[in-house]
Amino acid sequence: MLEKDSIAMEANEELLVMKGVCVHGSPQSRLIDVDLRIYEGERIALLGKSGAGKSTLLAVANGSLSPDQGLVCWRGIPLEQRSDRQRQAIATLWQDLRLVEELSVGQNINAGALSQKSLVWAIVNLLGVIDADVCRRCLQAAGLSIDLLNRSVSQLSGGQRQRVAIARLLRQKAELILADEPLSSLDPVLVKDVLDLILRENQSSDLDIGSTVIVSLHRPELIDHFDRVIGVQRGKVVVDLPTENLDSDALDWLYHC
Amino acid sequence: MKRILPAPPSLTLLPAFIAVPVLIEVCAGLHAGGLNVLTEFLHAAISPSLDRDVLVSAWRGLQVTLVIALLSWVTSTLVGIGLGLLSSDAFGSIIRAPCWMALGMRRLLAIPRAIHELIWGLLLLQVMGLSVWVAILAITIPYAALVARVLADQIDSLPRDTLTAMSQLGAKPVPAFLTALGPPMAPVLLSYCGYRLECALRGATLLGVFGLGGLGTDLQLTMQSLQFRELWTGLWMLAAVMISLEQLLRWWRLQLKQPGIAASLMIKSLLGMIIVFGCSLCWLFQLDLDVQIGFSLRGLPLPSLDALSQALIELPWLPLIGETLLITLLAAAIAIGLPPLGLMLFPNRFGSNVQSMLWTLLRLIPTPLIALLLLLATLPSLGLAAMALGLHNVGIMGRLLREGLDQQGDDKHEAFRAAGVGVRSAWLYGYLSPQSASYLAFSAYRTDVILRETAVVGLVGGAGLGWQLLESLSAFNWAEVVVVLVVFVSLTMIGETICDRFRHHWLSNAEQKRFRSMSVA
Repeated sequence: MLEKDSIAMEANEELLVMKGVCVHGSPQSRLIDVDLRIYEGERIALLGKSGAGKSTLLAVANGSLSPDQGLVCWRGIPLEQRSDRQRQAIATLWQDLRLVEELSVGQNINAGALSQKSLVWAIVNLLGVIDADVCRRCLQAAGLSIDLLNRSVSQLSGGQRQRVAIARLLRQKAELILADEPLSSLDPVLVKDVLDLILRENQSSDLDIGSTVIVSLHRPELIDHFDRVIGVQRGKVVVDLPTENLDSDALDWLYHC
Repeated sequence: MKRILPAPPSLTLLPAFIAVPVLIEVCAGLHAGGLNVLTEFLHAAISPSLDRDVLVSAWRGLQVTLVIALLSWVTSTLVGIGLGLLSSDAFGSIIRAPCWMALGMRRLLAIPRAIHELIWGLLLLQVMGLSVWVAILAITIPYAALVARVLADQIDSLPRDTLTAMSQLGAKPVPAFLTALGPPMAPVLLSYCGYRLECALRGATLLGVFGLGGLGTDLQLTMQSLQFRELWTGLWMLAAVMISLEQLLRWWRLQLKQPGIAASLMIKSLLGMIIVFGCSLCWLFQLDLDVQIGFSLRGLPLPSLDALSQALIELPWLPLIGETLLITLLAAAIAIGLPPLGLMLFPNRFGSNVQSMLWTLLRLIPTPLIALLLLLATLPSLGLAAMALGLHNVGIMGRLLREGLDQQGDDKHEAFRAAGVGVRSAWLYGYLSPQSASYLAFSAYRTDVILRETAVVGLVGGAGLGWQLLESLSAFNWAEVVVVLVVFVSLTMIGETICDRFRHHWLSNAEQKRFRSMSVA
């Protein structure tokens, strides 16, 4: 394995730790003895071929999948012992977006704040968009027109839906953002826009969102936007390096071996 | 002013709040003695009578109910398929029938469909006397019209490209029709026929409660004499049959999902139905019932025009129609709103299993018996009639919601839980919301059914057209019977049209969203 350099963000706080994580299952969904430490402020590209285990790694990181072996901790607390409020700290941009088709754009954005709100608030949100100002700011930060606030998400284009999912992410106010193949079905112009949004580049938004990001990618040419690269192959982490230390041989090995 | 945009999931929950004033009205009439009787009823559930005579009587009653249900189900399905073909535009065009024929058939079939099987039963009782055939015919007539409508709608909603292509190849009309449209319509038709068997069993039990024989009659008699242990013997037997049938139909629907076998299953099913019909007839004759078919119109004299116009003037139409609509709306609100509210408040496995058992119990007990049970503890009122009707339908809507939730993926719920959303809010957004459009579509259909079923509970509340119809029937006032029937049928036909609009609206929403979601994923 190509080890990460010792410059590993020592000054920054350790957010997520995986120790000896194993997930049994089909070759496409398994992980083998994964050890990782994610530090605050890191922008990480997660690389690997289809079926290498990237989505499984992200599912373990956000707690939606419990590993068969090993330990995953968030700020020193095992994931399964976190309170609902602590779970809010990790936001996920799912590959299939997981928007609620029956709701409007604003209601979907507000769904990002459900972990901080009561059941009554959740029901009132279904009656009509509440906290509309915050929703508008999230919409604008995601590069969408505020006129879309009351539009049903089922009436939006693919690119617009992706941005609504990002706006929902912003509403969640998470510390760590996990994005599963967010660029796979986008054209080149949208790829740059969405990447800027996730990595908060060229943004002047006052929204309180985390600066720690893990993005799984198919396209190695985009790694310059990140400062660390984790490569997964057949369920194992085989590359973990600062981006500037990664050479084309390592990339070739990752994708062609 | 802030714009209010209620989302579909909120429309499934909000009706539950209608239950509050109904509950207040019912609770206002509660008395301690009645509560003791209710406790006795619940206690008897765990100690049903195992006396030999009771068991033999309940078993015989159950057999009669089953035979009525099976015979009426097969007959209504086969007749309904024939009528459905004749009332579809697509079939009419290939047999070169005049274009008004299909439309005329559809309009004509709306009348038998609009009359509840109980009303058919009571009318047929006048011309046929007390016989097992009354119950069979009473179920067959409206159910055949219902099957015909569903089949015609399904056929006409299918694209006709393949049919046109086959006709151009020189295929004969009927084989071309069966080959081109048979396979795509088979899964819906077969699934619907299975559902109608369940309805036939419930209908046969209900007719029994009104004295037309079978287990329903036993249940009614034991309830009236407060023999709760004997009542539960019958209820548990019925539960065993209903739960087995539900499991069988669930398995059946799974079979229908297998690609490419629905068309062959349809042919096998039709043959199977004929065998079931033959076996059920043998079973009926073995039961040693009076199977003579009598028919005389003397019991149903045609009223004069004067009598009709007098009845039209004398009856208080506004309160009668108003009460019917009020019972319908209150009962529908209870039936639609309570299952999602209950599951949202208690979404864990234990909570949802307890609710499923409660729904099974509510489905099992016919509406008039629920009403009688409530009447033991409280005073008769319009609210009580609505609550009895609503609670029985809660059992049906609850099961439907649970089935829908079980079939949908849990990816959205998983996403909300991973983001730290609480259990109830995650259920609301992750499970109920994606299911809400389909649930609302079925709710619209159920509201239409509930409007017809008001005839069953009108007697309890002493309100509505159903009550008036039963009163007029009891008094042999045929002029009143005719005019009330005409108004009731008109009302249910208007109700059906409105509910259909809502159903199509929500169905198209659900389909569009499913398609969008699939295409983006």
